[in-house]
Amino acid sequence: MENLQIQATKYTPEIALDLKGIISLVGKSYPENTFEFYAPLMQWIEEYFKNEPAKKTVVNMEIIYFNSSSSKLFFDFFDLLEENANEHEIEINWIYDEENESAEEAGEDFIEDFEKLDIKLVTK
Amino acid sequence: MNIIKIQQLVDSDGIVFLSYGGYLSQTLISGMTEALELEAKEYGITMNVSNNLFTIFIELSQNIMNYSKAVESDAKRPQGLIVVSKDSDYNYYIDSQNIISSEDKEKIEPKLLEIQSLDRDGIKKRYRELRRSGHNTHDKGGGIGFYEIAKKCDAIEYDFTKINEDRYYFHIKTTTITKKREN
Repeated sequence: MENLQIQATKYTPEIALDLKGIISLVGKSYPENTFEFYAPLMQWIEEYFKNEPAKKTVVNMEIIYFNSSSSKLFFDFFDLLEENANEHEIEINWIYDEENESAEEAGEDFIEDFEKLDIKLVTK
Repeated sequence: MNIIKIQQLVDSDGIVFLSYGGYLSQTLISGMTEALELEAKEYGITMNVSNNLFTIFIELSQNIMNYSKAVESDAKRPQGLIVVSKDSDYNYYIDSQNIISSEDKEKIEPKLLEIQSLDRDGIKKRYRELRRSGHNTHDKGGGIGFYEIAKKCDAIEYDFTKINEDRYYFHIKTTTITKKREN
């Protein structure tokens, strides 16, 4: 298994998946085909936990704004992380500008929806 | 073509930066979103309000791209009208109009009726329920687009105008109030 890097575009975030246990998504998210675009990320995460994940996995998400299908996809992504949260230590940082109330609210919703996950709200 | 007439219409209706009546593509949507970002920056719209505006614009234009139909066949035709305008108080309006099938009208209308019957907290609650249930995850969206829009604007108006037995014009207008927190 290898690290995976996907460059940002004007409508998709930069994605960096590192086997050392650092996963990051930074940018905007409104792809034309959201589920297709994120399929490599989801596959990588599944493989990662099946093989030899790091002792601790840190997920840094800094999404400035996103469309509704990305919202659904992030939900599925957190769902996948939660499936692995019993056996593995996972820390999620939901990062946003302090003026970006919508992003804050989105983070709060994910915290409520995923009680088993350790999601921290981090302002820049 | 009378370009002066178009200019007069743009000026009189407060259409300041975007009006598009042709085929929509992802690249075009992204470019228009960039133009919206410049507009928001120019007029000092707060980050929160402007991000909400971008999300609504993206959601409506991607709807046109993904769901518009040709009038005389079952072919998809990613064509529609999307207009962003503002009034003298810098409240923003996004109008979108495209042609949909009566089958899609049957799917859309109950959602919009439900949204109109709910208050803000009700909309947020329903959004999360639908996102969790994963129902309606047909096609490209998550089935929660209108709830996303409703969460992020201050008012929604819509209407369906019949073209023929199986086709309707679907028009939706959102209002975004930019200065509500100032006293």
